[in-house]
Amino acid sequence: MPVWELLSVELLTAFLGLGLLVLGLLVPKGQKRGLGYLAALGLVGIAALAFALREAQGVVWEGYIIDPFGTYFKLLFLFAAILTCVSSFEYIGRLGNGEGEYYALIILSTLGMMILASAGELITLYLGLELMTISFCILATYRRGDMKSAEAGIKYIILGALSSAILLYGLSLLYGSTGSTLIKDISLVVNSGGVTPLMVVGMIFLLGGFAFKMAAVPFHMWAPDVYEGAPTPVTAFLSVASKAAAFAAFLRVFFVALGDSHPLWAEVIVALTILSVVVGNLVAIPQKNIKRLLAYSSISQAGYLLLGIVAFSTLGVGAILYHSMLYVFANMGAFMVATVFYNADKSDEIQDYAGLARRSPLLAAVMLFSLLSLAGIPPLAGFVSKFYLFMAVIDQGYIWLAILAVLMSMVSVYYYLQVVKVMYLGDPPPGRPAIEVPLGVQIALACSLAVLFLFGIYPTPLTNYAFSSAAAFFH
Amino acid sequence: MGSTLTLVAFWILFVLVVASALAVVLLRNIVHSALYLVLSFVGVAGIYILLEAEFLAAVQILVYVGAVSVLLIFGVMLTRRGNIRQSNLFNAFSLAAGVVSLALCVLIILALARTPASLPLGSWPVDTVGALAEAFLGPFVVPFEVAAILLLVGIVGAILIAREVKEDK
Amino acid sequence: MITLNHYLMLGGVLFVIGLFGALAKKNAIAVLMGIELMLNAVNINLAAFNRFLNPDKVVGLVFAIFVIVVAAVEVAVGLAIVINLYRQRLNTSVDEADWLKW
Repeated sequence: MPVWELLSVELLTAFLGLGLLVLGLLVPKGQKRGLGYLAALGLVGIAALAFALREAQGVVWEGYIIDPFGTYFKLLFLFAAILTCVSSFEYIGRLGNGEGEYYALIILSTLGMMILASAGELITLYLGLELMTISFCILATYRRGDMKSAEAGIKYIILGALSSAILLYGLSLLYGSTGSTLIKDISLVVNSGGVTPLMVVGMIFLLGGFAFKMAAVPFHMWAPDVYEGAPTPVTAFLSVASKAAAFAAFLRVFFVALGDSHPLWAEVIVALTILSVVVGNLVAIPQKNIKRLLAYSSISQAGYLLLGIVAFSTLGVGAILYHSMLYVFANMGAFMVATVFYNADKSDEIQDYAGLARRSPLLAAVMLFSLLSLAGIPPLAGFVSKFYLFMAVIDQGYIWLAILAVLMSMVSVYYYLQVVKVMYLGDPPPGRPAIEVPLGVQIALACSLAVLFLFGIYPTPLTNYAFSSAAAFFH
Repeated sequence: MGSTLTLVAFWILFVLVVASALAVVLLRNIVHSALYLVLSFVGVAGIYILLEAEFLAAVQILVYVGAVSVLLIFGVMLTRRGNIRQSNLFNAFSLAAGVVSLALCVLIILALARTPASLPLGSWPVDTVGALAEAFLGPFVVPFEVAAILLLVGIVGAILIAREVKEDK
Repeated sequence: MITLNHYLMLGGVLFVIGLFGALAKKNAIAVLMGIELMLNAVNINLAAFNRFLNPDKVVGLVFAIFVIVVAAVEVAVGLAIVINLYRQRLNTSVDEADWLKW
């Protein structure tokens, strides 16, 4: 396959992003909304292309790997970006300026994640990571004139840059102890038993850096504040896509390059998993703000995804792929509802959601099913994906870990249902009109709801795709 | 260059870099910190020259000393308020930060102590700049293009964030 | 005789000093300075590894130059955000920004 065809998804994404940047300057002020439609349509087209090329396999200049595993993640990022764009039409239109740049940044950060998921080389990996992080910092400050948004931006850039520097020190030691930045060459050196003390130190730094990016406890402290302050569609995108991108890169570095040193880092991952699942779920209980609640829930979801890494098997990787895809739809569904609600009521407090079921049955239903899917209640898709994750760890003998995770899932049902209780049993504040949901968002909400039900009841197509991608990753 | 001379030069630069880095971190006046940061960057450029990576040293001087430090000093000046002598204080976590940093320092030094230092000093390609150019536009062309987009994002973002908000609500 | 470990020790010490600065400082600009020190430490590592391991391939130098590019972007965006925050609050302390609220 020629190079341009292998890179076609990335190239088109870059063109779309840069084109929107230029168009944003040319389009007259009243018609900027069209930019959002263009961005969403373009992303749909690119997603269709990526799906058509899902079996493509090849290596570009040694350091850039196109394989089903990377393409699976690219599809995931594209779906998340599409939903983000659709839910932003209204929200960003109200902010007034910089619409073209907003969509361009969303798309370019998607590009960064794609690079991250396909990087077979440390330098490429680092640059993809930085493109994603820096685009997100800018997006997080997008609510101009809002103190919380400014705070979110500064926290994200400082902790993002700090974690990148820590990760980078690990990468430099990894390069230094193997003499190469190519992941396949590194794995050759590690295979031949060449784990030096320096490499162990490098692994410690790498683990710290990646845990920051995944928002796993104890490296999670940036997440709630940034999630709360950033514009809601950006928070949604950040919570699903950047986490998935971090996992994709982690899998490439730790499973491929450092796979043979697995016993050295396995225990650390177990500790991160336990902490994330326990702390994320327990601290979510007292939260009063829907975005903070979802932030802690996403920390606990990082913990569940880490279960797949603990398993260190094809089943584990497949479960990570499957769970992260469904997590996109469940979390984006919840955040889209929060965005529409914020547009109507200017509030993110859970108590203000009182009586939402009467003001907009659609919003309340999507929130209900998204939260239930996050909690892992059958027949929703979240149940199946969590089931696979738990199976993967039980398969490797970590029964106690699976039991702990199930217990904590039950705790999560409690705080998710609190939101549901407010929405369905609370009385709407007097004088509040019904909330109108724009058509585009209605379609997006219906799609994510359909995905949650479809793959909950009939998961086979997606599981087959996820597990075949995982098998291709390991072969 | 004789090896003793190199060693002496190395230790001088070591002291220069570490002392000025400590000054950056410990001083209470942020303007002084910024100036010591410049000194530290220059010292690192000296280290690169010692490694005979002259091109990297030139980039270091141009970008770090020339651009990054100036940007930082601009940042300090644009956001100045109150008593400049107390502008760079420690936060509430400084003790914990100190413990973590010290522990990591010990860890790194322990690992280095167990690493045999028997590698011979290699020599760069004759035409280092040419080799760099070939690497940038050959095997590393993907990160090269990503870096271009990253710079564009940085420029757009910096302008977007730092420009004055129009008051038209 | 000067060895690779000399350079790595300098890199390690510089990295730790920068990390301490980044973690322990109040002022956001000082935190950015600490991060810059950390990135410089990484570059020393990369250049030294490259020189001692396989100088015929200039991978370490390429990596170091990319790190410098990214550092410049980070500082530019970071300072823009700091100035944005300052305009709203006339303050650049990170810990007055409800830092690490549970």
